[in-house]
Amino acid sequence: MTGADLAILALDVAGYVLILTLVALGLAIIFGLLRVISMAHGEFLMLGAYLVLVVEGAGGSFWLGLALAGPAVALVGLLVEAVVIRRVYRRLLDTILATWGVSLVIRQAVTLVFGPASHSIDLPVDAAVAFPGFEYPVYRLFIMALSLALVGATAWLFFATRFGLAARAVIADRDMAACLGYDTRAFDRATFAYGSALAGVAGAAMAPLISVDPQMGVGFLVPAFLSVLVGGLGSIAGPLAGAGTLGAIDGLVARALSPVWAQVAVLAIAVVLIRLFPKGLLGRRGRSP
Amino acid sequence: MLECRDLTAGYGGGVVLEGLSLAVGRGEAVGVLGRNGVGKTTLLRVIMGLLPLAGGEVRLDGLPIHRVPTHARARAGLAYVPQGRGLFGELSVADNLRLADLARPGIDDALGLFSTLAERRDARADALSGGQQQQLAIARALRTRPTCLLLDEPSEGVQPSVVSDLADTLRARVAETGLAVVLVEQNADLALRLCDRLVFLEAGAVAETIPAEAARRDPALIDARLGL
Repeated sequence: MTGADLAILALDVAGYVLILTLVALGLAIIFGLLRVISMAHGEFLMLGAYLVLVVEGAGGSFWLGLALAGPAVALVGLLVEAVVIRRVYRRLLDTILATWGVSLVIRQAVTLVFGPASHSIDLPVDAAVAFPGFEYPVYRLFIMALSLALVGATAWLFFATRFGLAARAVIADRDMAACLGYDTRAFDRATFAYGSALAGVAGAAMAPLISVDPQMGVGFLVPAFLSVLVGGLGSIAGPLAGAGTLGAIDGLVARALSPVWAQVAVLAIAVVLIRLFPKGLLGRRGRSP
Repeated sequence: MLECRDLTAGYGGGVVLEGLSLAVGRGEAVGVLGRNGVGKTTLLRVIMGLLPLAGGEVRLDGLPIHRVPTHARARAGLAYVPQGRGLFGELSVADNLRLADLARPGIDDALGLFSTLAERRDARADALSGGQQQQLAIARALRTRPTCLLLDEPSEGVQPSVVSDLADTLRARVAETGLAVVLVEQNADLALRLCDRLVFLEAGAVAETIPAEAARRDPALIDARLGL
């Protein structure tokens, strides 16, 4: 393997890690604030990708689809929260079952409307950036920058704004936050919508790089869950650490052996890490679910 | 100011409050005393909306508030310092105070209530001593500019000098702003220092009300009613 091959591999892995972080972050925020394990998170990612498909089909540009993916999936998240999630709060197992049901409904609805076949979306930018000894697609670099910006914006939102301070208070003690005048239901809605929107943006951004089909969310849901478990809850850095660890293993083993062995390695190492660090690599002590 | 009429509430199938009625006027501090399990904490939780009411009504300034959620009651003027203080332990003293009113810049007014808080404004709330934590909880509650303050055993685990400090601060606030206070206590010392009236609960209802002044003159009145 040459130096150029190594650099390309490193950039590929970094891109996957950052997208995975975005998806895992949405899951972690929803679980952290609402104690809801959202099995529909992969479907929100899938909806983001299909939104790009719809917008392009209607004559709009990819970029318009990408811009609309967050707000549109946030609206779907609001609807799901209002119709389903709010009825099962504080019942962890029920949230898993309910969101699994939501994921089936979304998947089947998309299959009914668009069919089970996969669709492809053209790369919006064909150009490549020249590095010493190799070239790398501009669009993949754009995805990395977008993911970094969204992870940074999320960190800013939760740790440097009034909303974030209030959200952390709601996470720590809902009753006491309500006693200080905070409408915790409004935080529930906003959090579920925001976490869902992150998945939607990730799906839209990845749409030109992977096949868009009703099953595509599952491929991200499992590694995103493992990233949250491995990295730990309670900080933005937790999902990032989890996604970084598992994404790197996945990329390296897939390149060295095969994608199948990569899945095996990711699962095995995740099991070992969760056994060694039950609260995650960067997990904090917090409320148990 | 605060009126509770025929309150009935409990946990699961068990009834804890059974037809309890209590009124607290503007600028009045009422101590609610009673043995364990008579419904003191339940009363405050019901008033704050943290526990559903099976019957009766709660009014604040004449308006019924028993059907609105907790956050709306807080915005209407109720403040609550629960047993255990309800601080956000991982947040700093300053952030705990900011949370009381995010729209209002500056926390010097709240820090000024208790000198030790100003010295420890950047410390995590869970790193404070028991007395400092209670001061912080009360300063945070007062920063919401309540018209009625509900206090659940604020003297628990707090040394006597701090209890005295709390009483002075609250007494001054009651006199200056007309704040109404409902103080639930097992330990009568703070109630005697702060309150105008003492209400004794038994079996989920008010058994007797006496002027605090009478109990200050003859503390045996309290012992007799608490069965001490």
